[in-house]
Amino acid sequence: MDKHMDENIISEALQRMDIPPADDNARKRALNLALAEFNAHQKKNEKNSQGLSILTRLMSVTQFNKGQTTMENRQKKRLVYGGMATAMAVVLIAGVSLNQMQSGIFKAQESSVAAELEAAQLPSAAVDDAAPQATAAGADASVSAMPAPVAPMQPQAANRMEAQSKSAPQRAEAESLSAAPMEAPMQAPMADMAVAGSMAMAPQGLAAAQRSIAPMPPVVMPEPYPPYYQEQGQDKFENFKINPVKIAAEEPVSTFSVDVDTASYSFMRRQIENGQLPAPDSIRVEELINYFDYAYPAPHSKDEPFKASVTVTPSPWAEGKELVHIGIKGYEMNTQRPRSNLVFLLDTSGSMNEADKLPLLKSSFKLLLDTLSPDDTVAIAVYAGSAGTVLEPTKVSDKAKIIAALDGLQAGGGTAGAAGIELAYQLAEQNFDKEAVNRVILATDGDFNVGINDPEALKNFVGKKRDSGVFLSVLGFGQGNYNDHIMQSLAQNGNGVAAYIDNLNEAQKVLVDEATSSLFPIAKDVKIQVEFNPDTVAEYRLIGYETRSLKREDFNNDKVDAGDIGAGHTVTAIYEITPAGSNARSIDPLRYGAQGKAPKTETSVDNASFGGEYAFLKMRYKLPNEDTSHLITTPVPASDTATISDDAQFSLAVAAFGQMLKGADYTGDFTYDDVIALAQKAKGADEYGYRAEFIKLVRLAKSLDNK
Amino acid sequence: MTEAEHSELIRRAQNGDSKAFAELIALYYAIMFKMAYQHCPSRDAAEEITQEACIKLARGIGLFRFESKFTSWLYRLVINTARDYMQSQSRHPYNPEAMERVAVKAEGEDAAYTRQILAAIYQLPDGERAALMLVLRDGYSHAEAGDILGVKEGTISWRISEAKKKLGAQFGKEVAYG
Repeated sequence: MDKHMDENIISEALQRMDIPPADDNARKRALNLALAEFNAHQKKNEKNSQGLSILTRLMSVTQFNKGQTTMENRQKKRLVYGGMATAMAVVLIAGVSLNQMQSGIFKAQESSVAAELEAAQLPSAAVDDAAPQATAAGADASVSAMPAPVAPMQPQAANRMEAQSKSAPQRAEAESLSAAPMEAPMQAPMADMAVAGSMAMAPQGLAAAQRSIAPMPPVVMPEPYPPYYQEQGQDKFENFKINPVKIAAEEPVSTFSVDVDTASYSFMRRQIENGQLPAPDSIRVEELINYFDYAYPAPHSKDEPFKASVTVTPSPWAEGKELVHIGIKGYEMNTQRPRSNLVFLLDTSGSMNEADKLPLLKSSFKLLLDTLSPDDTVAIAVYAGSAGTVLEPTKVSDKAKIIAALDGLQAGGGTAGAAGIELAYQLAEQNFDKEAVNRVILATDGDFNVGINDPEALKNFVGKKRDSGVFLSVLGFGQGNYNDHIMQSLAQNGNGVAAYIDNLNEAQKVLVDEATSSLFPIAKDVKIQVEFNPDTVAEYRLIGYETRSLKREDFNNDKVDAGDIGAGHTVTAIYEITPAGSNARSIDPLRYGAQGKAPKTETSVDNASFGGEYAFLKMRYKLPNEDTSHLITTPVPASDTATISDDAQFSLAVAAFGQMLKGADYTGDFTYDDVIALAQKAKGADEYGYRAEFIKLVRLAKSLDNK
Repeated sequence: MTEAEHSELIRRAQNGDSKAFAELIALYYAIMFKMAYQHCPSRDAAEEITQEACIKLARGIGLFRFESKFTSWLYRLVINTARDYMQSQSRHPYNPEAMERVAVKAEGEDAAYTRQILAAIYQLPDGERAALMLVLRDGYSHAEAGDILGVKEGTISWRISEAKKKLGAQFGKEVAYG
C-alpha cells in the first residue's frame, strides 16, 4: 500500500485545476441549438413523422466544428439587433422542421441517444462491466460501462453522430431494430445523404471524412460522385471566359463595375458541403473574395462615400509576378438609417415546397423583419401557386400581422401567371417615399415566371423602375431549379444584391448582419478604371469580374449602369501584374514590337516622372439620389515593399482558391494546402467564424479534388 | 428552487414545454461545462462537448425517469459525449504538452508540480480518471460515482485504488505539497 499516492495529494491537485467559468456566448449558442432541436423533436413527436435533424439541414452545424460558432458571435454585432435575432432564429428553425425531408439518419441518432440515456438509468449491475475481477490495470479503458467499438456499422452510422454509435452493443441493436427492416429498400439514397452529411460535418477535411465514411458496407455505397457538380438539376449559370493576361503596352486600360454579390460563394459552399466540387461556371472569383468583410481603412464622412486602399505585393502563386490589391471600404452608417419601404415578392410555385426553400424563406424574412424599425413598411406579394397581394403595405409595428401573412403562405399548384412583379412594384410605389429605401425583394428558386416572360423585357422593366427609385434585390433558394444567371442580371439592373440563401446562417448574414449594406446603398454605379504604365508593367490580368467588365468609354458615360456599394461594404479587386523587366512574362515580347514602341520613347520623357508608378486608379460613383458621377483617383506606386494587411492577405487566399475552382491555370503549383496556410496565417480575429469556415471548405475541396 | 419545483421543471420540459427546457439549460449549462472541462481540459473542447450534450438532452430529456439524481444522469450524458468527442479527435486534447499549459490555482513550483500530477492523471484510463474526478474532486461517494458511471460501487473503489497505485509508482513516496 505504501506505493499508493496519497489521496489528499491527488485531491489537492484536482482541486487546483483551474476550471474557467462557462462562457456566456457559448451558453447562448448551446441553448439556441438545443432549443431548436427540442422544438423539432416535439413537433416530430406530435406529427409522428420522421425528420432529418434540422441541425444538419438548416444550420450546417457540424458536430464538433469551430466554424460554427458564427451564429452566436454575431450577437456581438453592431447597432440594431441585440439578442432578438437569436431568439427568433430558434423559433423559426422549428417552424421549418415541419417540412423536413424523410430520412433515417435522425432516427438512428435518436435511438442511439435513447439507448444511451436508457442505459444510464439501468440499475448499475445490469450494465456493469465487471471490471474489478476481469481487468488488469489499464484494460478498463472506458469511462462508462460501454465496452469497445462494435465492428459492423449500420449505414446510418456514417452520419455526423457516428461517434455515438461506435460503442455499446445495445445501442447497435437499437439502431438495427429501428432502422433496418422498414428502411432497407431506402438504403441507397440514405447512404447518399449520409455521405453528404458526413462531408458537411467533417471538421478535419479528408481525414475525418474518410473516417466517417470508411465503415460503411460496400453494398450501400453510392455511385462515385462525378468530380464536378453536373447539371443534374437545372441550375443555370452563365458561361463566361476567364480574364486573360493582357499586355499593358497594347491595352493599357482595364474597366469594370464593382460587384458586391456573394451568391457564388454560398452556392460553392453548398456544393462542397454536399461532396462535390462546384462547376467552374458557378464560380465568380470576385464574389468569393467579396463574401468576406475586410477591415480596410474607412472613409470619415458621408460626403466621401468610400475609400480605396492599394497595396502591391509579390504574388504568392506566381514567382516574378506581383499583385495590385485594391480594397474599397464604404462609409459605415452607424446610426441613422433611412426608412424602409419593402415589398417581398415571393415565389410560391410547387417547386418551392421543400425544406430549404419556402420554409427557409419564411424564416429568413422573419429574421429580416426583426431588423426593421417599427416605422418601416412591409408588403407581400406572391406569384405562381397562390397569386396576388398577400399583405398590403403594413407598418412593421404590426409585426404579428406580417408574420401571420408569412405563415399563411403555401407552396403548390401550377403557375397562376399573375403579373407578380408589376404588382410588387405597384405596392412599392403605392407607399413610395423619396427619403426612404424603396425596394422589392424577390425570393425564388429560379422560377422567374413573374408575369414578364422575356428576360430582356424583364431586365428593362426592372431597370426602368430602378430609375424611378424602386430597387430590386434577389434572393435565391434551393437547388435544382436555381437560375443564377437571371438572378444576377436582374439584381444588377435593379441596383440590388443577389444572394443565395442556403441555410439560416446565411440568411442571418445577408439579411441581418449585412442588412445595412444590402439595403442601404451609399453609392451607386461604381465603376473602376485602371490605366497601367507600360514602362513599369509588362502584363496584367484582372482576377474575376469577368461578368462585370465594361468598355473603356463606359467609364465616363453616366448612362451606363454599374454596381452599388452599401453602407460598410467592402469591395476588393486584385490585378496580377508582371513588372517590366521581370522574366515571368506569360507572353513573349514581340520581335518587331520594339520598333513599334519606338515612337513612345518621345513621350517617355514625359512619362519619366511616372517611373515610380505601376498604374493610375480611377473610380466613378454616383450618390444614391444623383445622376451625375463623381471621380476619385489615386496612383498605384511601383513598389512591393508596403506591408500587406492580414485582411488583404486573406483575400489573396480566397482569390487563389477561387481561381483553382475555376480551373484557371494561373495559380501554377499553388496547392490547397498553400491556400490553407495562407488563410490560416491571415485569419485574424475572425469574429463571425466565416474565415474558419472558408478554411474548412478548402480542406473539403482538397479531399474532393482527385487531380 | 425546491426539489419539487425542480422535478416539476423537468416534467414540464418532458411534456414539451420549451420554456421549461430553456430554463433547465440555463440552470445546468455551467455545471455541464464544468463536467466537460474536467474530462477534456480545453475550453474549446469543453464548449463543444457541452453544446452537443445540450442537443442530446433536447432529444433525450423524456428518458429521465427520476430514478437517480438529475445531475448524476446529466453527468453520465456529458461523460459519454466527452468520450465520443475524444474518439472523434485525431489528437488527444489532453496530451502531455497540453497539460503543461493547463491553468492551475497555484504558483511557482507548486504549479509545476500540480501540472505534473494532473498530466499523470490524464494519462490514466478514462474510467480511473473519471472515478478520481467524481470522488476526489467533486466529493461524490463511491456509490454515487458508480451510479453516474454506470458501474458498481466496488468498481469505483477498485479504480481509485488502481489509480493511486499507478500515480504512486510514477511519483514515488517523496511527494507532498509544501
